[in-house]
Amino acid sequence: MSDVQQTVEVLPKLSSTKKKKPVGFYLSATWIGTVVFLAVFGWLLPTRPWDSADYDALGVKPFSPNHPLGTTGDGYDMLSGLVNGAKISIFVALVGVIIGGSIGTFIGVTSAYYRGMYDRVVTMIFNVMLSIPNLVLSLALLSVLAYSDENNPTTTSRRVGVLMLSLTIVVVPILGRIGRASALQWAGREFVLASKSMGTSNASIIIRHILPNVAPAILAIGFLAVGSLIIVEGSLAVLGIGVPGGASWGSMLANGRGNIAYSPHEVYMPAMAIALTVISCNWFGDYVRRALDKRESKI
Amino acid sequence: MSSLLKIDNMSVSFATPRGNLRAVNDVTIELLKGESLGVVGESGSGKTVLSRATMGLLPGTATRTGTITYNGQIISELPKDEVRELWGTGMAMIFQDPMTALNPVRRIGAQLTESLTVRLGMDKKAAKLKAIELLMRVRIPDPESMLRKFPYQLSGGMRQRIMIAIAVSCEPQLLFADEPTTALDVTVQAQVLDLITELRKESDMAMILVTHDLGVVAGHTDKIAVMYAGDVVEYAPTRQLFSNMKMPYTEALLKSIPRLETPTGSRLPVIEGRLPDPTKNEPGCPFANRCPYVTDKCRAEKPPLTNAGNNHYYRCWFPIGGEK
Repeated sequence: MSDVQQTVEVLPKLSSTKKKKPVGFYLSATWIGTVVFLAVFGWLLPTRPWDSADYDALGVKPFSPNHPLGTTGDGYDMLSGLVNGAKISIFVALVGVIIGGSIGTFIGVTSAYYRGMYDRVVTMIFNVMLSIPNLVLSLALLSVLAYSDENNPTTTSRRVGVLMLSLTIVVVPILGRIGRASALQWAGREFVLASKSMGTSNASIIIRHILPNVAPAILAIGFLAVGSLIIVEGSLAVLGIGVPGGASWGSMLANGRGNIAYSPHEVYMPAMAIALTVISCNWFGDYVRRALDKRESKI
Repeated sequence: MSSLLKIDNMSVSFATPRGNLRAVNDVTIELLKGESLGVVGESGSGKTVLSRATMGLLPGTATRTGTITYNGQIISELPKDEVRELWGTGMAMIFQDPMTALNPVRRIGAQLTESLTVRLGMDKKAAKLKAIELLMRVRIPDPESMLRKFPYQLSGGMRQRIMIAIAVSCEPQLLFADEPTTALDVTVQAQVLDLITELRKESDMAMILVTHDLGVVAGHTDKIAVMYAGDVVEYAPTRQLFSNMKMPYTEALLKSIPRLETPTGSRLPVIEGRLPDPTKNEPGCPFANRCPYVTDKCRAEKPPLTNAGNNHYYRCWFPIGGEK
């Protein structure tokens, strides 16, 4: 009798724990939500202007009444800086992944579907592009396309534009190769042949049958790519060729690193923002992939 | 009745790293409107390649020779796009494994209405109504909720019914059924075959049924082509073949079907040995090494396709029932 009762009790428990999402999902989703919200609506918040200094409060430590996250040695408010920086950091990374990912997925999936000479050329170009380290590629593109010296300075918008272009180019082969590998596996499936045997056009097969199956892999790697583009943007800023003037997280970090000895929060605030965002992107991407893979894994 | 499909001297070979693999040798077959042909043979005998080659669904490494006439039109010389126009509306195929022939991430409704909207140009509403009608024709209960389901939610038999519904959705004149029951439960096999036969009768659809099971073709076909190592070795009307078979290979296939009356514990007869290597072109009858009635002549010379009268053809020097 007691055995029976136990089994009855255990069963619903098992099914409910299975559906429960791990804490990491909520944490990362909350953080990404906050950052995206700040990036989009941050300018509406009653924070201090990020680009004008408060000369009465130079190098204030965090948790002071007027400046909740402190100020830089030059008197710029850290909180407004971070809110404003979210805009550029997220925007640059997202645009790079969305545009580069779309181009890469399109090229990768079509090359896997049609094969032949086209596929060989595409694979070769991807391999060449992947053999150049991300940072070096962006560095080269930036210094050629957004070259500036004292006589002809480059505008910030041009820099941001070139930065996005170079990040896009970095993403194309990464997601292109994932898309190609995943599409190769699906293009050989019988349902593709079955749909073909009903007279469906190639374009239709790619859109209706292959892309929905490739999407989980692309989305998961896409989120990882957002994370790594934020890092690339930060690295470029630290090297002095990113967005100038503390307008992005990387740029704030670059400006603050000289003061690390007496006001370390100037470095660790933007560094933490970058780190948390990157970790959240990785976690979130992982959950997205697992959630989308369910239907396949049930077969 | 007039001829629907005529295959003349079709051969198919594949370029492989080990050399040219001959999958189908010089096959000649004719199918009338509304007629059904069973293609029987063991794995690797070329029966699936035969059906796919007829439709034009071969990978790029394959070469096909010979003439295929469909409805009086020589389709083997048509450009690819024009052959594709026939797919779905003229010829359609039911695939062997309903587990892999449906897209796992798309709903049944989307997959069923795809060819209706793409090929027949129906609008969404009309396609949905037609899809419900199709599901009713293949005996699926509660068709409306079925449209919203994913393939993983269905059993194998249900999925194969969906595949059949998709294949007949554009009302083809010729249906290729490539081992439609192999992946299914024995109890479901008969239901699915009966369903196909019924749908065929309703719309006077011709069928090529590919299977390795002589028992399956017996009740569902008008004539049978037995294939071995890419050759059609026996070709006859179904009744004729079962009452008066000529080929030792056909006999061996029939013997290897388990029967109710065999005593418990007795071993199932098998055909010893394996198919010859299709990349080598050896002289003699390809079945010689496995044939119980083999002679020196069989090893030296390949027998031609011989007419026994009554539309019965066979490829053997010493047919069963002939002079020894």
